Amino acid sequence: MKKKIIRIVCLLFISPMLFSFCGIYVSKSDGTLKNKASQVILVRDGEQTVVTMYNDFKGNPKDFAMVVPVPVLLQRKDIRVVSPTIFQKLNAYSSPRLVEYYDENPCYGRQWEDKESLNEKSIMVTSANSNPVAKKKNLGVTVEAQYLVGEYDILILSAKESSGLKTWLLENGYKIPSKAEEVLEPYIKSNLKFFVAKVNAKQAGKIQKGSFLSPLQISFSSPKFILPIRLGMANGDGDQDLIIYSFTRQGRIESVNYRNVEMPSGNNIPLFVKDNFDRFYGETFAHKWEQEGKNIALLEYAWNVSPINNVKCDPCVGNPPVDQDIVQAGVWWLNNSNPQSNQHTFFTRLHVRYNRNSFPQDLQFQVTPNQTSFQARYVVTHPAEGDLTCDEGKVYLRELKGKRRKELHNLVSLTGSTVEDYLSNTEPDSDNGIAYQTLLPEVEQEKESERTIFPGLALMAVVLVTGAGLMRWKGLI
Amino acid sequence: MYQIHLFKDPRHFQILFQSSFLIYGVVFLHWSSPLWIYAAYFITGIVMHTICEAGFTTKQFPVFSSRWWTKWWMGMPSALISSYGLCLFLKTDMPEVAIAASAIAILSKYIIRINGKHLFNPSALGIVLAVLWSGKAWINPGQWGSGAFLLAGILTVGIIVVTKVQKLDVSLAFLGTYAILLFSRQALYLNWPLDFFTQTISTGAVLVFSFFMISDPKTTPNHPVARILWAMMVASIAFYMTSFRYIVGAPVFALVLSQMTVPLFDQLFRGTNFQWKYFTASTLKPAMP
Repeated sequence: MKKKIIRIVCLLFISPMLFSFCGIYVSKSDGTLKNKASQVILVRDGEQTVVTMYNDFKGNPKDFAMVVPVPVLLQRKDIRVVSPTIFQKLNAYSSPRLVEYYDENPCYGRQWEDKESLNEKSIMVTSANSNPVAKKKNLGVTVEAQYLVGEYDILILSAKESSGLKTWLLENGYKIPSKAEEVLEPYIKSNLKFFVAKVNAKQAGKIQKGSFLSPLQISFSSPKFILPIRLGMANGDGDQDLIIYSFTRQGRIESVNYRNVEMPSGNNIPLFVKDNFDRFYGETFAHKWEQEGKNIALLEYAWNVSPINNVKCDPCVGNPPVDQDIVQAGVWWLNNSNPQSNQHTFFTRLHVRYNRNSFPQDLQFQVTPNQTSFQARYVVTHPAEGDLTCDEGKVYLRELKGKRRKELHNLVSLTGSTVEDYLSNTEPDSDNGIAYQTLLPEVEQEKESERTIFPGLALMAVVLVTGAGLMRWKGLI
Repeated sequence: MYQIHLFKDPRHFQILFQSSFLIYGVVFLHWSSPLWIYAAYFITGIVMHTICEAGFTTKQFPVFSSRWWTKWWMGMPSALISSYGLCLFLKTDMPEVAIAASAIAILSKYIIRINGKHLFNPSALGIVLAVLWSGKAWINPGQWGSGAFLLAGILTVGIIVVTKVQKLDVSLAFLGTYAILLFSRQALYLNWPLDFFTQTISTGAVLVFSFFMISDPKTTPNHPVARILWAMMVASIAFYMTSFRYIVGAPVFALVLSQMTVPLFDQLFRGTNFQWKYFTASTLKPAMP
């Protein structure tokens, strides 16, 4: 009777609050350099790993430096810079999406309309000159290698003790957070090397003001499949967002030391949310994150993006990344001209919001054979227009009322906020007794339980007490 | 028809607690596996149990005689526990892998036997073979989350169950050794803050493993000293695999490896075979003929 896709609005969840990489930024000045968010691409097959890091560095760029623990001594050929557009493409492709349906008037024939809109914001990263000279000193710190890659001067350091590394960084003019030392120590003892990147003075001159710093891409082979977020918490205050895009040959990646939770998806939400979709998704994410106990990785997207798979999204938001994009993201097996080679590629997008209390460990992942597609997708429905006085029209209006009540209820339970907040910004829609404002008093504004973990524990307690009671009754204890 | 001594058999408690963990996982932790996977584990487990009971019966228990049904019924808790073990650990998105894992788990109990005991814990073997052989299944220890509440809950539940089956020796020897080794490495040597270690050890996967998988009295050495030494060995292998080889779900792999040495432990330390306390094949008769 209805059904009609029409408009897909993509939420590009890049706001100034989000994104940057999970290493620490070390600053030469006392200015406050905080990293609040990052995006990273992980490509993994067997033990071969390619990591691409992109940050929303917001301090004075001439003081920009990044420290990332890496499991092996990287060679020059293992490091390159790539274009930031790959991150924009992946983000646009995999962002949570809003789908618009149009109900058709049951009193008339079908009405189709097709629109598509893409709402894109971009990240601005500024850069400028800086070239603090690296000095060697007997602090147990060895400069294992030094490379010029793109606009970056890269040092690979190994250290014997954290205080030595800290002193070395301080003596070389870097201001590092006081708490960094305690997290550096476990890394040093785990035999990790330190990848330090800063903008090269000569190259920096060529960079246009206001343009992007290039994302850094490193590749190595290691049984460890981790993202070192702990270091990022040394000077990160509060919650930090991390978007992980991953490509594997087998299937989804999962965190193995934190719970993996899928975002709610497919929910029907009120039409007026369309104008506030960014806010809606932000609140839905935050609500889900808190409900699940915060120490989780949330799945936002999963899809087979192999060259042979023609359906790379449903519905698509803009163009899916083409093979060249995926190769640029580090997927080396697509670069193989041999058509016989296994070019199967699976894409996963995880969103982690971490803080020191909820995330005592680095993120540890595994590649799973799970190839189930997933997208965080929300649906709004435009009501039928025109004369609805026929019998079918009356039935339709009655059904619509029920649906709209459900939509309002969904909005409340997804976002944990009240409908009024959204309604205050919107014009009242035409009334057939179906306006959201009219229905509002009928909708129970029931508060969802804050966290689902407590009912779970309560259930276990009940089972425990029942079991113990039964055992006592039977004389077993 | 038959007298069911509900809650006289400690395995009934095990089933009760495992059901509560499964409900907790599916309902409250939102495990994303489709529900058919659990049905596949249970149905295959029960069917395979019936087939094996029929196929491996003796003259004493002619197939479909009332004594055979009694024996079939007695073995059912073990089949269900194996299926629960798979439900709580093994993830897959292919029905045939789930069915094969469950079938192999039950079948191994009847086929791989040494000295009158089955060698492998059925669910552990099913899990390991499904992960390594098919490549289409995986374990995720992270699915449980971690937390002190969970730790306390599972510990208590586990202690109750295990004390009714046998002494706590295997579970505690494993958990203690594993915790000490991890603590030494993570907190003392690498110098991570304490909550780093707490998160590792309080994950539901380690605890469910300790109290509901390694504790299976049929697949541990008979002699108490041997059991403790053996459990410490499992813990050491699991620690090595997880800390230096980064193997996900290491305890389960360590268990299957170690179970191959159980006959050796039994040879070195003479003891008596474990019998489930309340039901044995020779003592239980149907209440009605």
